[in-house]
Amino acid sequence: MLNRKARLTAAAVVAATGIALTGCAGDTGASTGGPAQITFWGWAAGYDKSVALWNESHPDIQVKYETITNGGAGGYDKMLAAAKAGTAPCLAQIGYETFSSFLAAGLLQDVSQYVKPQHAEFPEWVWGNVGVDGAAYGVPVDTAPMGMFYRSDLFTAAKIAVPKTWEEFKTAAAAVKAADPKARIMNLPTDPYLYAGFAWQGGAPWFGVNGDAWTVSLDSAANSTVAGYWQGLFDQDLVTSYPAFDAALFSAWNSGEVWAEVGPVWSASLIRDNAAKSAGKWAVAPMPRWGTDDSVGNSGGSATAVMKGCANPKEATEFAMWMSTDDKSVSNLIESAAILPASTSGLANAALDAPESYYGGQAIYQVFRSESAKVNSNWRWGPVMSTTAAALGDGLGKVPTKSATFQDALSGAQTDTVSALEAQGFSVSK
Amino acid sequence: MSPVTIQRPSRRRELRRAAPFVLPFLLLFVVVYLVPTGYSVVQSFFAVKRSGLGLGGAETVFAGLGNYVRVFQDGDFIASLGRVTFIGVIQVPVMLGIALVLALLIDSSVSTGRKFFRVAYFVPYGLPGVIAALVWSFLYAPSLSPITGFFASIGVDVSFVTDGALPFSIANILTWAWTGYNTILIFAALQAVPAETMEAAAIDGCSGWKAALLIKVPLIRPALLLTLVFSVIGTFQLYNEPVTMKSVAPNLPSTYTPIMAALRSLSGNDFNYAAAQSVVLGALICVVSVLVFRASARRVD
Amino acid sequence: MTVTLPSPTRNEPVAGVPNRRRRRAHPLTTVSPASRLFVLAVMILFAVYFLLPVWWLVVSVTKGSGEIFSGNGFWFGESFAFVENIKTLFQAQGGIYSRWLLNSLLYAVGGGIVSTLLASMCGYALAKFRFPGREAVFGTVLAAVLLPAPVLAIPLYLVFSATGIINTFWAVFIPSIVSPFGVYLSRIYAASSIPDALIEAGRIDGAGEMRIFGMGVRLMAPAMVTIFLFQFVAIWTNFLLPSLMLADSTLQPVTVGLVGWREMQGNPISYTTVVTGAFVSVVPVVAMFLSLQSFWSKGLAAGAVK
Repeated sequence: MLNRKARLTAAAVVAATGIALTGCAGDTGASTGGPAQITFWGWAAGYDKSVALWNESHPDIQVKYETITNGGAGGYDKMLAAAKAGTAPCLAQIGYETFSSFLAAGLLQDVSQYVKPQHAEFPEWVWGNVGVDGAAYGVPVDTAPMGMFYRSDLFTAAKIAVPKTWEEFKTAAAAVKAADPKARIMNLPTDPYLYAGFAWQGGAPWFGVNGDAWTVSLDSAANSTVAGYWQGLFDQDLVTSYPAFDAALFSAWNSGEVWAEVGPVWSASLIRDNAAKSAGKWAVAPMPRWGTDDSVGNSGGSATAVMKGCANPKEATEFAMWMSTDDKSVSNLIESAAILPASTSGLANAALDAPESYYGGQAIYQVFRSESAKVNSNWRWGPVMSTTAAALGDGLGKVPTKSATFQDALSGAQTDTVSALEAQGFSVSK
Repeated sequence: MSPVTIQRPSRRRELRRAAPFVLPFLLLFVVVYLVPTGYSVVQSFFAVKRSGLGLGGAETVFAGLGNYVRVFQDGDFIASLGRVTFIGVIQVPVMLGIALVLALLIDSSVSTGRKFFRVAYFVPYGLPGVIAALVWSFLYAPSLSPITGFFASIGVDVSFVTDGALPFSIANILTWAWTGYNTILIFAALQAVPAETMEAAAIDGCSGWKAALLIKVPLIRPALLLTLVFSVIGTFQLYNEPVTMKSVAPNLPSTYTPIMAALRSLSGNDFNYAAAQSVVLGALICVVSVLVFRASARRVD
Repeated sequence: MTVTLPSPTRNEPVAGVPNRRRRRAHPLTTVSPASRLFVLAVMILFAVYFLLPVWWLVVSVTKGSGEIFSGNGFWFGESFAFVENIKTLFQAQGGIYSRWLLNSLLYAVGGGIVSTLLASMCGYALAKFRFPGREAVFGTVLAAVLLPAPVLAIPLYLVFSATGIINTFWAVFIPSIVSPFGVYLSRIYAASSIPDALIEAGRIDGAGEMRIFGMGVRLMAPAMVTIFLFQFVAIWTNFLLPSLMLADSTLQPVTVGLVGWREMQGNPISYTTVVTGAFVSVVPVVAMFLSLQSFWSKGLAAGAVK
């Protein structure tokens, strides 16, 4: 039925073409006379307006912005494919969690020399997210420190104190259940990136760099402590277990079935837009601490990365730095996407002092502004993060049905990550 | 009218005649199907080797069968192959059975409102796969599903997203989406059954269901075979439905089906391994299709 | 010029071969009303099964924002917001939805027509010309159907990058006009519905091959309509290829746009808008099927060629 000879012949003929294509490389951003042209791929709301603002005032450096699919939903795959074809853009929006992976794939350009003058704009932990060993491969845009969003009306009515430590949180969880048997204090964090924020806070990094090798530590003792805490809450039925971002969870926030959410700054708009009925009843407090350790987790944030083939790295970096620090640009980004700026100039923006009616008139971003300085600096995202996140996500997804524990999920992700790294030839130090 | 004599033209002349008809399609076919396939197959024999932290880029080295050895040691991938086989076994016969029955019913004289039913059965196919999966994910989501809610109101606890229920829930989406398509194909084939044959059978006393099963079905065997092979191929290439289900069923692993596993490798920038996975999948589909053809050919005497 | 048609052989039943006489409905004397009712009941049951999720879609489209997951999923909500939802849909994100619809139409109608033409030509030649390598070509084309499309998308991307058509209309259009299934269908159809005698007679009359093909097209029409319809739906519902090939959101088809909106998880584009968009996107496909259905069934019932 299948003519194998024909197929083999055809395949052989195109194999030569195939091998030839492997070596195909193009260049991006030719720098002949005229304004420098820089392409920029991103998806966050407001980026296009910032680009337009820049283009108006900078005729010598023109940025062409293209909206692509959200990174995790295909945008990163598109960037990888473009890089392979040699047609990658000059600048790309890359979340911190994926930044190390692009770095490890050798797809980014070192722009340390161009960002040096403005080094003081960003705290050290933020610079650590856009490079290794002090080098920078892009410019940070925003951060996502975590905080505790809670129903102040329900806590007050039940006379439960807002917890300041994780010990107090556990006590409060039991109190919430006692006050209303159908309610729980929070939803179990089973999304790998959300859960990462808790490990981040707890000084339990998953990855590190040891000389010229990566280290993978999802199964460390510190991680077991954090995992054990959440497993405990679940085992004692003190938390709900809806999937993250699920409409059922939003409904639970609305109805008072779930009283709080410890999450990153962008949960503010998530809660506000999806739980409209409980407007005015929420408030924001700092994230519970581990004992006396005054550090905070971070879950999110992105940078503007400079891709390897970019022919105008100096101009590209100049634009990226402007986007993250210029007052007009930052005001636009705060307004469009409700981000928390990473830069010192950005954090001074008056928009962050505005009271939020949804949160009972509290100026919630002031909380995050001060918390952002306390983010634990001992964290690094991994070099094959999509594999790690997929493996961890699979494992954590089994926890609500009791087919696995947090520890199992972490161990599984550890194994999968190490084998993926070794298969690709990375140096992994134990 | 004078009789027409048909001569056998030379092969060369036939080739010249055929060329302008065949070449446009063939040229595009080579570019769109053969070149990428060739590229994938070639890439599956190479691997990318990085060193240290990977910052300095990577070199591509010849890896022989290394990627294939890795595929056969990959428990998750093997499991995904088993899973789609299982879903194929529970879903394809049910779907084709329903499609055959519906096509026969629409075709029969006993039915009324044929036009309405033809459209009704076709509509699911017109819904893009991702959208259909989206709608069904809302219908399966434990806390939102009106179906679950209905059963809960009568005291029955059903869940569409437990590990055991998932293959069946996914099979249901597939059946829902593709039965109409197959019904149309089978119905079209039934139009070719000559009226005389059915009338002759009726005269002989064979009519209604007996006639349908004993006469119509054997006559449309090629169409049935076609739908069977396409359904099998489609099941092995399962992707849209499980991915959309993942948002309401977090217990669904990211390597649920072979295509999901290959695309996960791609996202992890492991292109060569993904190529090997897809070659293995393609080969398996080939083998199964050939087996299906052989098995049905044997039954036709 | 009249030609006698051979009657279709028993061994090669094919889709829609024109019968010599229109199939008459059997006399209903032997069928009991109970039997008729039973058949009707079964068909209605399946119609309910197929239409229920579509009904959910219809009902959801009429609900006001925020109501979509509250109350009864299968019945209307308190407010009737259908018109409002449509308005919001077409105004969302600067009115990009209508752009997406237009793109989908262009890809699907344009791609459908061109692919039908190319596939029919190829199938006709495979059926009617005995040239060397004929079976090899046919076998290879069929085998292509086995290839896992999602994984071919990446190498195809690389091929297209080399020629610079990425992120243009052509990057989606070119793969859309290759239909191996269409070649298969048209070969089968041409083999049985276009008699060799017709072709020979045309040649003797001095007609060019293309003109003869033109005559044959009339006989192949039902198959061509089927190929067009299936290719239309395949292109209209395709997601992976356009999402990879296109970076510019104004070039996207409706499927990619809707999935992108859904990824926003309700903000700033609400689920209601996503659902409304899904509903509107089905309308052209159903309309296409309905309008082609009458042509198609006419073709099936057509008698001898005049």
